[in-house]
Amino acid sequence: MNTTKIKEKTGQTIFTVAAVICVIAVAAIFVFMLIKSIPALNKIGLFDFIFGDNWSPDRLDKYENATLSGSYGILKMIIGTLAATVGALLIGGTLGYFTAVFIAFYCPKKLKKIFSSMVNLLAGIPSVVYGFFGIVFLLPLLANFAPNNGSGLLATSLILGIMIMPTVVSLSKTSLEAVPRSYYEGALALGSTHSQAVFGTVTKAAKSGVTASLVLGIGRALGETMAVVMVAGNSVAYPDSLFNSFRVLTANIVMEMGYAGEVQQGALVATGVILLVFVLIVNLVFGAISKKAIKGAVEGKGLFSKIFKRNEKTKKTTFWTKCKDKIAGFKDKIKTANIGAGAAIGAGVFAGTILLLVIGFIFVKGAPHLFTNPHLLFGKYEFDSEQITILPSIITTLMTVALSLLISVPIGLCTAIFLNEYAKKNNFFIKIIRGAIDLLNGVPSIVYGLFGMITFVALIGGTSSILAGTLTISIMLLPTIVRSTEESLKSVQDSLREGSLALGAGKMRTIFKIVLPSALPGIMSAIILSMGRVIAESAPFIYTMGSVISATPTSYLDSNATLAVALYRLSGEGWYVNEAYATAVVLIILVLGLNLLAELIAGKLNKKLQGDK
Amino acid sequence: MKKIKEINEYGQNISVRNANLWYGDFQALKNISVEIPEKQVTAFIGPSGCGKSTFLKCFNRMNDLVDGCKIEGEFYVGETDIYGKIDVNELRKNVGMVFQKPNPFPMSVYDNIAYGPRTFGITKHADLDEIVEKSLRQAAMWDELKDRLNKSALGLSGGQQQRLCIARSLAANPKILLMDEPTSALDPISTGKIEELMEELKKDLTIVIVTHNMQQATRIADKTAFFLLGELVEYGSTDDIFTSPKDERTERYITGRFG
Repeated sequence: MNTTKIKEKTGQTIFTVAAVICVIAVAAIFVFMLIKSIPALNKIGLFDFIFGDNWSPDRLDKYENATLSGSYGILKMIIGTLAATVGALLIGGTLGYFTAVFIAFYCPKKLKKIFSSMVNLLAGIPSVVYGFFGIVFLLPLLANFAPNNGSGLLATSLILGIMIMPTVVSLSKTSLEAVPRSYYEGALALGSTHSQAVFGTVTKAAKSGVTASLVLGIGRALGETMAVVMVAGNSVAYPDSLFNSFRVLTANIVMEMGYAGEVQQGALVATGVILLVFVLIVNLVFGAISKKAIKGAVEGKGLFSKIFKRNEKTKKTTFWTKCKDKIAGFKDKIKTANIGAGAAIGAGVFAGTILLLVIGFIFVKGAPHLFTNPHLLFGKYEFDSEQITILPSIITTLMTVALSLLISVPIGLCTAIFLNEYAKKNNFFIKIIRGAIDLLNGVPSIVYGLFGMITFVALIGGTSSILAGTLTISIMLLPTIVRSTEESLKSVQDSLREGSLALGAGKMRTIFKIVLPSALPGIMSAIILSMGRVIAESAPFIYTMGSVISATPTSYLDSNATLAVALYRLSGEGWYVNEAYATAVVLIILVLGLNLLAELIAGKLNKKLQGDK
Repeated sequence: MKKIKEINEYGQNISVRNANLWYGDFQALKNISVEIPEKQVTAFIGPSGCGKSTFLKCFNRMNDLVDGCKIEGEFYVGETDIYGKIDVNELRKNVGMVFQKPNPFPMSVYDNIAYGPRTFGITKHADLDEIVEKSLRQAAMWDELKDRLNKSALGLSGGQQQRLCIARSLAANPKILLMDEPTSALDPISTGKIEELMEELKKDLTIVIVTHNMQQATRIADKTAFFLLGELVEYGSTDDIFTSPKDERTERYITGRFG
């Protein structure tokens, strides 16, 4: 056997192994979560767990005890999660939909790019920063007319709504722009105005794509943790008014995992499993819709339109039809009165304002402290000092970013190469890998945190460490890296591969010399965005890496708080508001800087690949 | 100049016996036998979907890339059974291919041409420089491109890109050159240049070209094969095919009654 053949075989083996690792990661998450939760569910009873509305755990409850002295029912939290999701969908869905229409059809051409990257920036802001903004801006504002400090369903829905908006916008925008231009032109040729054409034909044709974007938004809202924890109040109660402190499923895990007893810990992992089930259902629905979305957008088919049609048939004379008539009549008015256009423009402007508000408010409040308090950035950590320094956190964050990319980029890249360059379509193994990647992508960050706690932390001596946190986030990064790499590999024309093969080059040489360099812009921006993600995340770290700022770490076995976790700590304690502002500023600069860099690099490299004339 | 190492000496003529090819359930080639002589230009003509490109791609086994493609029959290049125990990459080095659309790699002119030699282990600068210059001269492009060897190949015009792709194939020192409608995306002037080039190249190489353009076949080809619906209808010297076709279908096609 000659060396080329050996190279080819080794390459293919490595790519396959990477893909298998992805599958193992998914399987491990599900298996470990189930193993940890089944004893608790046995003890509590599945029905009592899901439909019991009393959550008062007892830390002394153990599996070997004959009876439990605490109660473990999570119904209140389930209702809380659903209520917050509905609220977020009402706010973020409406806002996102109209913003998408605005960017696609009403925005002046010159501003279009700015608005699109603005939406990307909104998506990049860490969830702790949103939560912090909620604490220092939204809650005091709401407190003016609320019976309490402002926390509760309204604040949660507002913050969550803003957070899911970018998701809704980007997918809706894509499907709106995928509608054939001939629809719009056809409407104009019949005498429609611009707005009548947009709202009469284009938005209707993009219906299932927009629905898919809303479903994806629901998934985000269900799994969101830190921002909600910071504004919901977190009492175990039903969300029966706009300003009642309540608790969601994710919050339940974060609030109690740190000091949970044996049964309690099992119940919390089980809470994670329930969350996972919710997200899985949402993902399945999304998968079903999005497959048909673009096609259905054009043909007016798709899962949801079928469901709606069935409803029309069965409930012809009910109250529902009357409502529909009313809505239809109202829609007619929208068209003629151009209210839709107004809403679109309003939403676009509002989205811009929010970005400026969040960033501006935190900068104005926080930036001065960065300059007047050098100890904050450059000081040495002292155990008994009142003065906070975030230097250890910055170093911890950098260590995490470096190692997690070292782990997940090679595995992700190799998996993507396997999927795009080696996989034959519709092979069973390929379907499993793709399914695994899709599943990983939907798992909420707090579930990763739980998984990391019951596996990596347990493996590495039972205490949290930077290593355990890094391993956790590495798995979390995989789906993003695999997907975006695969997208960029797909965009490399087959004619280049054929050209290389026709010259006698083997598959490995073709991949490394032709395909990967051509896909580099996409891959680079995926890597940079992953860096941003590591910096922004906090839920996966709290119980794997630690949540207390301590002395500058000297090894990966030390425990410490990343910047995002530090912000959560500082804002929760209430003593160090100024320091929290300053930390938020550093976080925003890092994350937004990386976002901009990603766009820049992708653009620059693309230009270079297009050829310098 | 250091020669690229040969393990298997490939001849320059192609002979095919009883070739059948299926894409899934669809039979794209039906029982084709043909002898393609060395150092001549052979043209494959026929309407779209007749199987001529598919047949061409059997000679360097590019059909291996297509899912669900099944091939039967005997394919020999010189004395070598190319569907037997051979190194496919080495076959493709010896049987070069130029595609319908120019496909320069997103790298410099120099790196494009050096790609093939580098693949087969030539790394010395002096050797590569020599091959690049020789190939560009062979493709009559040296004077045009010698000052922009380090510029991206994507900045060239369509015609230049296609000739660069020919030079790139030549750099691998092939015995046979397959050309799949190489001028269909080009303007008449670029087409003329490429036809002149083929005239020059056939002194050393066997050329097989697929073309839609019957005038092109009469201008450049020594032999012509007419394909229809996966069958080889008629094969002979270009003069015979175009002046006294034996088959009625050939006559109807070349007189423009269908196509």
